Amino acid sequence: MAEIQVLILGLLLGGVYALMASGLTLLFGVMRVVNLAHAAFIVLAAFCSFYLWEFAGIDPLISIVLIMPSFFVLGMVLYRVLFPRIEGTPRFTEMTVLMTFGLAFVAEGLMARFFGGIFRSASPPYARDAIILGDYYVPTGQLLASTASLVLLLGLWAFLKFTRTGYGVRATMQNRDAAQIVGVDVRRVSTISFGIGMAMAGAAGALVSFLFPFFPARHWQWIAILLSLIVLGGMGSLKGAVVGALLLAVVSSFVSHTLGPVWAPITFFGALFLILLVRPQGLFGKKARV
Amino acid sequence: MAQTDVVRTAESTPAKGRTKGTVSRWSVLTMVIVIALVLPMLRSMSSYQYVLSVGTVVFMWISMTASWNILGGYTGYISLGHNVFFAAGGYVSGLLLLELGWSPFATAIVAGVFSLLMGGVAGLITYRTHGPSFIISTIALLLVATLLMDNWAFLGGSNGLSLPLPSLSPSWVKVPFYYAMFLAAAGAVYLGHRVQHSKFGMALRAIAQDEVKAEVAGIDTRRYKLMAFALSAFFPGVVGALWGYNIAYLRPIIFLQIAIAARMVLMAIVGGRGTVAGPVIGAILVVAFDETAVDLFGGSEINLVITGALLILMLQFFPGGIIGTLRDRNRLPAWLDWD
Repeated sequence: MAEIQVLILGLLLGGVYALMASGLTLLFGVMRVVNLAHAAFIVLAAFCSFYLWEFAGIDPLISIVLIMPSFFVLGMVLYRVLFPRIEGTPRFTEMTVLMTFGLAFVAEGLMARFFGGIFRSASPPYARDAIILGDYYVPTGQLLASTASLVLLLGLWAFLKFTRTGYGVRATMQNRDAAQIVGVDVRRVSTISFGIGMAMAGAAGALVSFLFPFFPARHWQWIAILLSLIVLGGMGSLKGAVVGALLLAVVSSFVSHTLGPVWAPITFFGALFLILLVRPQGLFGKKARV
Repeated sequence: MAQTDVVRTAESTPAKGRTKGTVSRWSVLTMVIVIALVLPMLRSMSSYQYVLSVGTVVFMWISMTASWNILGGYTGYISLGHNVFFAAGGYVSGLLLLELGWSPFATAIVAGVFSLLMGGVAGLITYRTHGPSFIISTIALLLVATLLMDNWAFLGGSNGLSLPLPSLSPSWVKVPFYYAMFLAAAGAVYLGHRVQHSKFGMALRAIAQDEVKAEVAGIDTRRYKLMAFALSAFFPGVVGALWGYNIAYLRPIIFLQIAIAARMVLMAIVGGRGTVAGPVIGAILVVAFDETAVDLFGGSEINLVITGALLILMLQFFPGGIIGTLRDRNRLPAWLDWD
């Protein structure tokens, strides 16, 4: 029953993709910002986690505790530096795509300059272990990473659902102008959301550091995959990102199993073009207001 | 001069900001063209080969950026995957050379037409998407192309194909490339000018401003978007054919790096999106900047940083680019107004 094994691996992978995509979809939902640099920051976090492991012996899972707050602050600073000037311009979303496109190159170039362009991967002891369950095996690293993703995503959900700021974020997602009218400080909500999005990227990067080999230019493949799956789920929808991530990770695992790992990314792009053809707003998306 | 002004008004160029200065654009254009044409004859010039190669590269970028501008500038559909057509052109002509022995100087047009048709098909994306989802689709298009080319054994996969060099003496071999690229650049800029002053161009600008209103006003937006996409793919194909032959080596990573698409976007934005002179100014400045940066710092990583930082700075402070910003402030000199 190789299929069940592939399914297990696909679901574990999907959990991590969901975390990687959560920040991206949050930013779009709250601010209509498409952050093309999101995956570049995931790679940056992976490098941080890698060096913390190599030189300080800090376990990548523990390093999340250090990386998330620093990335939260980094995100808030980036937002305040980059976005106020272009806010309110016509075609704001496109402007943010171009802007973060530039940001991705800056991040990639700096990483290549300071960390070098070679493959890296942190190797904590559990990265190569596996738990044997009857006929199947569950890689320990993947299991831990998916569990961590699940915890973080639940945390994000609880924050949005139960805190006052979370209300503000959700109100802004639903209708920015109306939220402003009823007294939500949209600027503050946006800044915090950007910080949270970046913190999620940071956490994802820490997990990526021991799951996949990475190098600075790797982020283009990831951002394309992540964008495809949030388009599938419906841009701005957190639920959509999770469903899209699980669905496509499982399908791509099967593609990888039958056609070879080289072709796995085709799943994501194929799904992207298919969903644009059939339902451009995505599975859980609302029709865009023009 | 007076006559051209009348024509310009009749063709309703956006009236914002009349131009200043007494040097007409025709004298400047003629001068630039003459210098460009005469340059390869000054063979005793110091660092002749360097000047020639930089000239070739500048023309290549002018041609690609001016083409990108038809879609990204006039129509407002920003493509981050336009180097797919650059690659297509390179491989079409390269294969014709390897299999049939036809010179890419002749088949560059074939490569262009192939890209044009490919652009027509890829343009179907615009039927379903606009804004951010269009941009995402173009990135996906680029990555699909990379994946295919990397694994297509007939085309050499990721190792690519080697091409024979043209049978000319080494000191002359770069001259035909220079002139061919010049023609491609001139063609693309002329095409941009024609688009600007046609009903077609007006329709494209209407689409860029408000697609729904354009549709309501009776513009067949689908047809125009498809045509814009196809046209904007033609010259990247031509230039790809020439460039592949010039470096005598076809490899996916040379053509399909996303940094190449980024260059087109950057150059158009530096010069000014949706203007005729913008791509020319942008290409010249960015290449000059690149050459200086490589001279000073070396290394391609710094180039990436500079590309990104320039893009951010332009968008933050001069989103209209050099031409657009000068025009908004009524300071655009007449010789720079090619619209």
